[in-house]
Amino acid sequence: MKKIDITLLGTTCLLVIIGLLAIYSSASSQYLFRQLIFLSIGITSLLIACFTPRRLIYGMAEIFYGLTLLLLILVLIFGSGPGAHRWFAIRIFNFQPSELAKISTVIILAKYLSYRRKMDFDFKTLAGPTAIIIPVVTLILLEPDLSTSISFLPMYAALLYWQGLRPLYILLLFIPVLSFIAGFSLYFWIPFFTIISIIVFLRLRFFQALAAIATSSFFGLLSPVFLSLLKDYQRARIKSFFAPWLDPHGMGWNIIQSQIAIGSGRIFGKGYLNGSQKRLGFLPNRHTDFIFSCIAEEFGLIGSIILLVIFGLLIYRLLLIAYKTRDQNGALITIGFAAIIGYHVFVNIGMLLGILPVTGITLPLISYGGSSLVVTMTMIGFALNVAMNSE
Amino acid sequence: MKDRLKRLCFILTTLLLILGARLIQLQIVQGKRYARLSDRNRIRKIVVPAPRGRIFDRNGILLADTRPTWTIAIIPTETNDSALALLSILLNRPQNELLRRLQPVSEVPAPIDILRNVSFDVIAKIEENNFRLPGVIVRVDHIRNYPFRNLYSHVIGYVGEITEEELSRDSSYRLLDYIGKTGIEVCYERFLRGRDGYKYVEVDARGREIGPLTEKRPEPYLPGKDIYLTIDHNLQQTAYNLISKYERAAVVAIAINTGEILCLVSFPDFDPNIFLAPLDPLQWNALISNKSKPFYNRAISSAYPPGSTFKPLVALLALEKHLITPHTQLLPCNGIFQYGNRKFKCWSAHGRLNLIGAIEQSCNVFFYQLGTKIKVDTLAEFCHKFGLGKYTNIDIPGENAGNIPDHDFLDRRYGKNKWTQGFMLNYCIGQGEVLVTALQLTQLYSCFANGGFYFRPYLVAKIESAGRTILINKPQRFEVEINQTNLNWIKNALTRVVEYGTGQAAQLQEITIAGKTGTAQNPPNPDHAWFVGYAPADNPEIAIAVIIENAGHGGAVAAPIVGELVRYYFTKRTLP
Repeated sequence: MKKIDITLLGTTCLLVIIGLLAIYSSASSQYLFRQLIFLSIGITSLLIACFTPRRLIYGMAEIFYGLTLLLLILVLIFGSGPGAHRWFAIRIFNFQPSELAKISTVIILAKYLSYRRKMDFDFKTLAGPTAIIIPVVTLILLEPDLSTSISFLPMYAALLYWQGLRPLYILLLFIPVLSFIAGFSLYFWIPFFTIISIIVFLRLRFFQALAAIATSSFFGLLSPVFLSLLKDYQRARIKSFFAPWLDPHGMGWNIIQSQIAIGSGRIFGKGYLNGSQKRLGFLPNRHTDFIFSCIAEEFGLIGSIILLVIFGLLIYRLLLIAYKTRDQNGALITIGFAAIIGYHVFVNIGMLLGILPVTGITLPLISYGGSSLVVTMTMIGFALNVAMNSE
Repeated sequence: MKDRLKRLCFILTTLLLILGARLIQLQIVQGKRYARLSDRNRIRKIVVPAPRGRIFDRNGILLADTRPTWTIAIIPTETNDSALALLSILLNRPQNELLRRLQPVSEVPAPIDILRNVSFDVIAKIEENNFRLPGVIVRVDHIRNYPFRNLYSHVIGYVGEITEEELSRDSSYRLLDYIGKTGIEVCYERFLRGRDGYKYVEVDARGREIGPLTEKRPEPYLPGKDIYLTIDHNLQQTAYNLISKYERAAVVAIAINTGEILCLVSFPDFDPNIFLAPLDPLQWNALISNKSKPFYNRAISSAYPPGSTFKPLVALLALEKHLITPHTQLLPCNGIFQYGNRKFKCWSAHGRLNLIGAIEQSCNVFFYQLGTKIKVDTLAEFCHKFGLGKYTNIDIPGENAGNIPDHDFLDRRYGKNKWTQGFMLNYCIGQGEVLVTALQLTQLYSCFANGGFYFRPYLVAKIESAGRTILINKPQRFEVEINQTNLNWIKNALTRVVEYGTGQAAQLQEITIAGKTGTAQNPPNPDHAWFVGYAPADNPEIAIAVIIENAGHGGAVAAPIVGELVRYYFTKRTLP
């Protein structure tokens, strides 16, 4: 009856070990030591998440959510971070409420959605979950931490989808947000607007489609207005998010060096501890956001593909747990976590490979850093919990 | 439920495949390129400058070599404004000059040379302030050294920092490279320069050297080739000592049988070492405002009227054209020769003279009379045969061809038919528009001495590379068809000049010298003193020309110098 999901636990352990090896190679034994401390905290929270009775979690969802909102407000007032208010500096490590928010938001959304048997595209169905997610995303956006706030969107979409909302409706729901983001840059907005228009005119009735287009245009036009209200440096930051290549010595330098590291690894890599890009300091943040570049440099295409396969297996396992369990709430929690982890993996590696904009996002279980490791392991813990009680 | 799982798995797989495809693109398709970029990142190619070839005299005495020095470089990405400000004070150079050197900054952090040949005192100060000078690097370098300083400034010339114009002509040089500017240094630049070597070191992202690179072998430099000059250092030094007491003077001596230049001195001169360090403005201003023009090579660039040293050539022409015989006696000299309504002066009243006597006593009246008989083009053509009015093609730059007037020249200068035979009277005593260089006169007299042939004068005997001779200058011979009997009369006369005539001051007991004095008028300034001769008179080896500007009579001033040089050359005896 109570059986641990060996595949999920196994892939997790494998990724953690790879992470430790990579941190040792890219930073120093000092960082490795600190990561081991975080790991012990992570293991503890994994075990807690795994063995806490589900009913307790279910019952605590609102309190947990409320606490998260409070912390997110407090961090805006008391928090620190580079040009932002992102974390509380607590002695040896920085605590990021936005990381915690990922867990609590998933739990309360799962609770709310699991009441509903049927999902429709109407105000009654969607007002609730949207009302839950908006304050969290807004508070994180105010920090400002654009990339973390965006990470809530695929999670939200995945939950709605799993609960039965048609993909077309999910798209319609996201039109305001996506239009607003795309509106920051004309190069994004024109293709986005074209594709949306084609889809809605093909799939919806004429007046519905017209309404969708109108909404899209409105929010799309809102962003230039919003941009004009910002200060120069804030505008520059948003611009550089969409076009990092405009800044070759800042963000551009990082991404160029990251691609050189990955590309020069070629098929077999330069060998463990032998990455010259990494060793000689050409890679910035090499033990945190850029750690995949180090792995790809030292282990080459073979190592990188193996890492991708392990991540694929981990996420697939999460999806499978959600599919197998009869407990709707548990399934939704697992799907939400799968979406968050998947988003991190794809966006982090995608940015290092130069196919996505550069954002400060970690590679789950691999990157150096307490918050990310502990939160991801807690998610895995919840998923293991769901898996154990699925039959 | 199953569809949804399938669809999510499909999305997952698609996303992973996108990443995988991009990985394949970066690591396989473009892997080679990125590997190269990665190497370019971490491997710094460091230039190991080749030492410039050495320059020796004919006996192997070192005249130019290299000595160790220091060069200051900056890693632009490592340094900061306060370091640059401090450095500009320590180096005593304006800060914007240092900044200009750092443009354009390359993407890869690498040191850029900003100042070469920095003195030890400055280096000591920089090392003291090391901690306040991030990104400032001191490296050992080598630089040209001229141990005899001024002595060879007009022969060897000097090297200096490359100009932008020179750089645009030859891209194989780098900014701050030293390049030959004058003399042997510029003419033999391609031999002296050598080829720079490279070593490879591994550097980190901040441009700091980590250590040598084992997988890439250094390319050793090829030192510049050694040049052996035809110059005899001791003779050069002797000549220098003899003329440097005058304000402006020059000496040229050549080996008659080869054309080798044994000494070439021009005074005043300059110390070529000053061009290696940043120029001291005071020193520089003193040099360029000096009225005697120390950069001017009086031995080859300055064309003077030859004065009476020209007379033997006119006499030879007269004999060759059968205008006179050696025994012809023209009108006696009473100090003045009337031609038309003009009176031409002689420096004395010589009475009745034949050709020998006229040369011996340097009688103008005799040559005025020849001037009435010789056509200007005949003279010009004859002079050209001996190389006068033409470049000798000596192997250093700045040569003057001199001037031998002919019909065309006079037409151009005075207008058609606006000149008369009267001009020839002046030309025949080596005055007027007849202009020659000291080098040309040594060539002319070596031709007399040889009996009708001379060699192109040259300064480089051979070039050696790693003990192997790669180039030997072959003497280039020019023949002049002359009746030997006529020439012998002239040679005879030249010997008598020193024995009994105006050149007695050149006389030596042990060696017979043949030669001719000259006193070139240079109104309104005092006359230039000439003496040109060769020795030994019966079996000549060396021809020497001496010009002392504004020093008066050649017989009194220039002749003894030639005497001393000949004495020195044949006896190796230092001056009393």
